[in-house]
Amino acid sequence: MFFLSWRQLISRKKQTLLILLGISFGTLLYVSITGLQLGMREYIFEQLLSNTAHILISGSEKDILPESITEVLYGDNKNVFWRVAPAGKRDETKIKNVQGWYQFLDKETEVLDYSPRLSTNVLLGSGQFSAPVNLIGTLPEKHARVSHIEKYIKQGSFLNLKSGGNSLVIGSGVAKKLGVHLNQIVNVSSRAGLSRPYKIVGILHFGNEQIDQSIAYAHLKNVQTVTQRPGRVSEIAVALWDVEKSNITANFWKNISTDKVQDWKEANKAFMEVIGVQDFSRYFITWSVLLVAAFGIYNVLTIMINQKKREIAILRAIGYSPARIFQLIFYQGIVLGMVGGLLGLFLGWLMCLWIGSINFGFEIGGSNNLLISYDWQIYFSAFITANISALIASFIPAWEAKNLTPMDIIRSET
Amino acid sequence: MITTKNINKSFGIPAQTVLHNVSISIKDGEFVAISGKSGSGKSTLLYIISTLDNATSGELFIDNTNGQQISSDELHLFRNKKVGFVFQFHYLLPELTALENVLLPARNLNLIAECTPLALSLLEELGVLAQKDKFPSQMSGGEQQRVAIARALILKPKYLFADEPTGNLDTANAEVVMKILMRANQEWKTTIVLVTHDPDFAKLASREIYLVDGKVSTKT
Repeated sequence: MFFLSWRQLISRKKQTLLILLGISFGTLLYVSITGLQLGMREYIFEQLLSNTAHILISGSEKDILPESITEVLYGDNKNVFWRVAPAGKRDETKIKNVQGWYQFLDKETEVLDYSPRLSTNVLLGSGQFSAPVNLIGTLPEKHARVSHIEKYIKQGSFLNLKSGGNSLVIGSGVAKKLGVHLNQIVNVSSRAGLSRPYKIVGILHFGNEQIDQSIAYAHLKNVQTVTQRPGRVSEIAVALWDVEKSNITANFWKNISTDKVQDWKEANKAFMEVIGVQDFSRYFITWSVLLVAAFGIYNVLTIMINQKKREIAILRAIGYSPARIFQLIFYQGIVLGMVGGLLGLFLGWLMCLWIGSINFGFEIGGSNNLLISYDWQIYFSAFITANISALIASFIPAWEAKNLTPMDIIRSET
Repeated sequence: MITTKNINKSFGIPAQTVLHNVSISIKDGEFVAISGKSGSGKSTLLYIISTLDNATSGELFIDNTNGQQISSDELHLFRNKKVGFVFQFHYLLPELTALENVLLPARNLNLIAECTPLALSLLEELGVLAQKDKFPSQMSGGEQQRVAIARALILKPKYLFADEPTGNLDTANAEVVMKILMRANQEWKTTIVLVTHDPDFAKLASREIYLVDGKVSTKT
């Protein structure tokens, strides 16, 4: 039956071409809009992940309760009444049992690696210029493993921090503010009043101006010295083998610890909400375009059945079964869906290449071009979607054709 | 053998009876013409005995089976293998060439290769071999009707039903068509039932069933 379907399709070249264009236009939009949005999202996710982690463990902010003060001052004596109950907050957050976490994380099979951090606000100075930065102390090798930070190093190397001697990696914006270059010396002044010379061993460029102007990395030990808190860790960034499991894993860890455990989606709730809205609008647009294309298929096939009634009657009279008539129409819908889908994938790919080559004249994540995702899953799902809509759209006319009786047609013709 | 018993057929609301208690019998190998004036129910009778249409009441026996009780799958196979149809308006598929149209019944049974030699010889006999790769729109009405007859004969059917096959043709072409039908009847013993309003063609048949207002009648 495919032979006949094919013949009928190619004998209506103009109609077939129009429908193909309709379907491929739908697929094209699906591919390019999804590619654009997912490209942007990949970039945002990477930024978020390099700044936070799959899971971030930090000390919980605790209110000071009267009971705990009572216990410290009076032991188990329960007959203590406060005239004015003590209230307030602990002056800083820290992880209570860092070694305990290390041991736990070493054993967890889902954990790829973890990196302890201590961050503090310091003032960098070079000559007359100064810049306040958020100085993050890490173990360089571990941090390089839990994030893509090496990728954003413009000069030098992140692993140069490893030596532990007073060395710094600073953001490109910071370097510009201070007017310093690689291997030059800057002064690091902490709140505690200490001032030490540090050598710049690397310059970072995330492509995000705000971050690039206010970030610096050093070895964890250096930051502990600067803040005069040896052994202190404010947070542990954890990378998992499977990012998708971060939410489940984080929820589990929350139950076994009093420290604050946040997966990266929870930590960036606002972003995730924006992405949710984006997803919705993308599905809405692409589905409505494909719906229009599907109506096109439905229309053309229905009109065709009316035009082809005589032929259908003849085929039935010759002994072709209703199932065969169904195939005759249905195959045409499938071919339209498949060819239109493939054409749309190709055009969509070209469209993505074209959009990706437009120079926007401002920096978006390392270059002046929009980031576009060429993930095979986009193309796969676009193709499947085009085919499903074609399938449904051709099923109904095919079913109608199947139920035509030859006699009704012959009677209406003569 | 085709036998009908008290066939009635009515259409529409209120019911308008087209056939009244028609009981006929057609032997295998006969060449029968069903004739009558326009509106006498001759085409309706043809479609009922050829299993394309159902009678309102009455019984039909064709090829030793009850036409009303046959399952639909058997019916399709029966039409495919044992029945050939020729309609007034040739009804060729416009997307297929003459040869492909002729081979349509064979295509349904996956017998294209086996039937191609016969298809070519049929086209040759009918004088349209030169048109075998042409599409219907490139052929004249007479040529199209001859191709349609070749299609009806391709599987050497036991029964051939023709509804005014000459109705659309000039005299010369009509005669060619009639000759072929008679040859099929003589050479392959094909039972032929022909509906026509042309008395000259009706006379060519071995027997004539004459309908007046949906009843079998003797011609005066």
